[in-house]
Amino acid sequence: MKNVLFLLAFSTGLAFAQAFPTKPVQLMVAYPAGGSTDIAARIVAAIAEKDLGQSIVVLNKGGAGGQVGWTEMSRAKPDGYYIGFINLPALNTVILDPDRKAAFSVDAFVPVINQVLDPGIIWVKGDSPYKTLKDLLDAAKKNPSKISAATTGILSDDHLAILMMEEAAPGALFRIVHFDGGAPVMTAVMGGHIECAFDNVGSVFRRIRTGELRALAVMDTQRSPFIPDVPTMKELGYPTVISSSTRGIAVPKGTPQPVVKRLELSLKKAMDDPEHLKKMEEAGLQLRIMVGEEYAKYYRELHTKAAKYTEWARSRPHK
Amino acid sequence: MEGLQYLASGFASALTPANLAFALAGCVLGTLIGVLPGLGPAAGTAILIPLTFTLDATGAIIMLAAIYYGAMYGGTITSVLINVPGEAASVVTCLDGYQMARQGRAGAALGIAAIGSFVGGVFAAAALVMVAPPLARFALSFGPPEFFALMFLGLCLVTGLAGQSLAAALLMTVLGLLLALIGIDPVRGAPRFTFGIPELYDGLGFVPVVMGLFGVAEILLVVEAPFRRLVETKLSGLWPSAEEWKRSGGAIGRGTAIGFFLGLIPGVGAVIPTFMAYILEKRLSKHPERFGTGAIEGVAAPETANNAYANASMIPLLVLGVPSSPTIAILMGAFIINGLTPGPFLFKERPDLVWTVIASFFVGNVILLVLNLPLVGLWARLLRLPYQYLCAGTLLFCIVGAYSLKGTLFDVGVMLVFGIIGYLLRKLGFPLAPAVLALILGPFMEKSLRTSLEMSAGDFGIFVTRPISAALLACAALILAVSALRLAALKSIRGGGS
Repeated sequence: MKNVLFLLAFSTGLAFAQAFPTKPVQLMVAYPAGGSTDIAARIVAAIAEKDLGQSIVVLNKGGAGGQVGWTEMSRAKPDGYYIGFINLPALNTVILDPDRKAAFSVDAFVPVINQVLDPGIIWVKGDSPYKTLKDLLDAAKKNPSKISAATTGILSDDHLAILMMEEAAPGALFRIVHFDGGAPVMTAVMGGHIECAFDNVGSVFRRIRTGELRALAVMDTQRSPFIPDVPTMKELGYPTVISSSTRGIAVPKGTPQPVVKRLELSLKKAMDDPEHLKKMEEAGLQLRIMVGEEYAKYYRELHTKAAKYTEWARSRPHK
Repeated sequence: MEGLQYLASGFASALTPANLAFALAGCVLGTLIGVLPGLGPAAGTAILIPLTFTLDATGAIIMLAAIYYGAMYGGTITSVLINVPGEAASVVTCLDGYQMARQGRAGAALGIAAIGSFVGGVFAAAALVMVAPPLARFALSFGPPEFFALMFLGLCLVTGLAGQSLAAALLMTVLGLLLALIGIDPVRGAPRFTFGIPELYDGLGFVPVVMGLFGVAEILLVVEAPFRRLVETKLSGLWPSAEEWKRSGGAIGRGTAIGFFLGLIPGVGAVIPTFMAYILEKRLSKHPERFGTGAIEGVAAPETANNAYANASMIPLLVLGVPSSPTIAILMGAFIINGLTPGPFLFKERPDLVWTVIASFFVGNVILLVLNLPLVGLWARLLRLPYQYLCAGTLLFCIVGAYSLKGTLFDVGVMLVFGIIGYLLRKLGFPLAPAVLALILGPFMEKSLRTSLEMSAGDFGIFVTRPISAALLACAALILAVSALRLAALKSIRGGGS
């Protein structure tokens, strides 16, 4: 009798895993269509659905810096049919900033697989007097809070990166000016209204190649394949100034493990596919595939790190 | 002359079958909207925005621009045939157009209106090609403080020129700005005025609000209007006679100039150019007594001015990102929905899109000319449709459109509530244009204001120490002062008379 029960339990579990998916899977992107998260999501969805045997529908739920989409995802039924992209550290700071009144906690999402890691970068106008990171930091030390630095938004990875830079180079203080996304940052720095920008490689490397912009440092431990001439923070002696924006897929808490594994299998296969590699390269997006526990650990550690800098950001005068 | 090179590639793209089809569809739909009494370009573009959502950005904007021009022309048809202007800019056309129709010259009136519109529209679009690139280059030197000052100036112009009461216009501007504050704070990220309703986190949707204020409110007003009978007239002889041609030539030229220059100034609105063109013709005429009895130049001048204005008013939008009228604000909304911010950077970042759209203005004007002359009879027959069906059908279309924006009933509710608000405001004589412009400019103004203050570490002096910003703000102050004085003078004249 016991055996029968065990067999029954085992076979239903198995049947469940085999049964998934029986209908299309929705892949939520918390940003509007056409953005870089959306582009990458569509590339991987188109490849992964072949292996999954069901179509993967990209669902754009943009708004409030991702908060609208993540709120919806945290409330979705955890059955594997509603999965979504989590952008880090944007998701972390939405949770950490009490002003945002987020309706979900860090545990609401279970990371499955990371796709993209877009490293941070410091850049200036092509004809700027600052030729190196040292020039810029010396100026920021000599005239504290006078050198303006643009971010793509308050508590974005770029904002946190400025704080990391100030922490690693004592005495250097920037005047932080927040913009709404990459396009207005470009406008303000190119127009000569702001001295430097903290940004991501993916959004500026083409203009760096043409010489319109000058990159001072990439905030990573290894050089970017898109701009191999630009030194890393580690090489320049600031190994703690490591910042990036990552995008990966997560499921709502409570999704059955066999379903998670099934999704992970198809998504991993798709991300290793040569077609995926080629298309991501064309889109200028740097891959950093992290699966399972590795990704979960990254998510947790980043949350702790983001908590520290979010606290700083909120207490710093002239936020 | 870099503009001409870009324009050539713009034409190549505007003339692809798909984009041509969007322009054609836009012209037909726009004319239809213009013909339907009460529904003007603002209502038309607002109601039809959801139709363009499935298109790419270029197609959507081409189609909406074509709807705009189409509606401007469609309004003429009803002015001439039933003495009811299809939209406000065709009010003047009634004066002589309807008289011409009674004398059996409806065809010639509509013909000269189409030809004048074509000349005015093409000239304004050509001027856009010349002036836009250098202007856009100049505007590239604008930083956040200059953009704030520019948008502030734009709002002051709209407020100063709207309606009879500066107080009422200011109230509407503030209402628009307040509505624009709803949603997540763009800098700090905290929710504002959302009352815990998640749908409000992204702010009030611009499209459902304008669909309500213009579309639904207009329908409610139309329902009230008395039914008008159609003049039973034969629509033969669309081609004006040699004598009529002679009289119209100068009027078309002057109408073009008036429409073009007034189109550059935000807030003038489509009505003022038509009145000015009409009055100028009357003053210049050797027989001013013929005006009002069916003078063809009384049709040619305002119709030309109104289309030149429509095309020229694209210049402030495309070059500076400042919409000059509610219709243009709705077009700006279409850019924003597609992830594009109109302004100098659009010329730099997406020249392909900008020049395709500009080329489509020429294409649209040609389509309107060849489409409308032969189809006038068909449009006229549409006027015989009973109002009740038209109104019910249009309202249904609005509801489906609002629902299709995001697939939520919330937007339908927003539209209906703003329909009622718009109806009441119109009844009470409050101008809607300042509210709509403030609503769309509000978020941009707030962002540039706060970014400027971050740049200056909180010092408001940044707006007056930078020369361009200081000059723009001085203009804004001057405009408010002048319009306050003008309205005060108007009031004392009236007060003394009664």
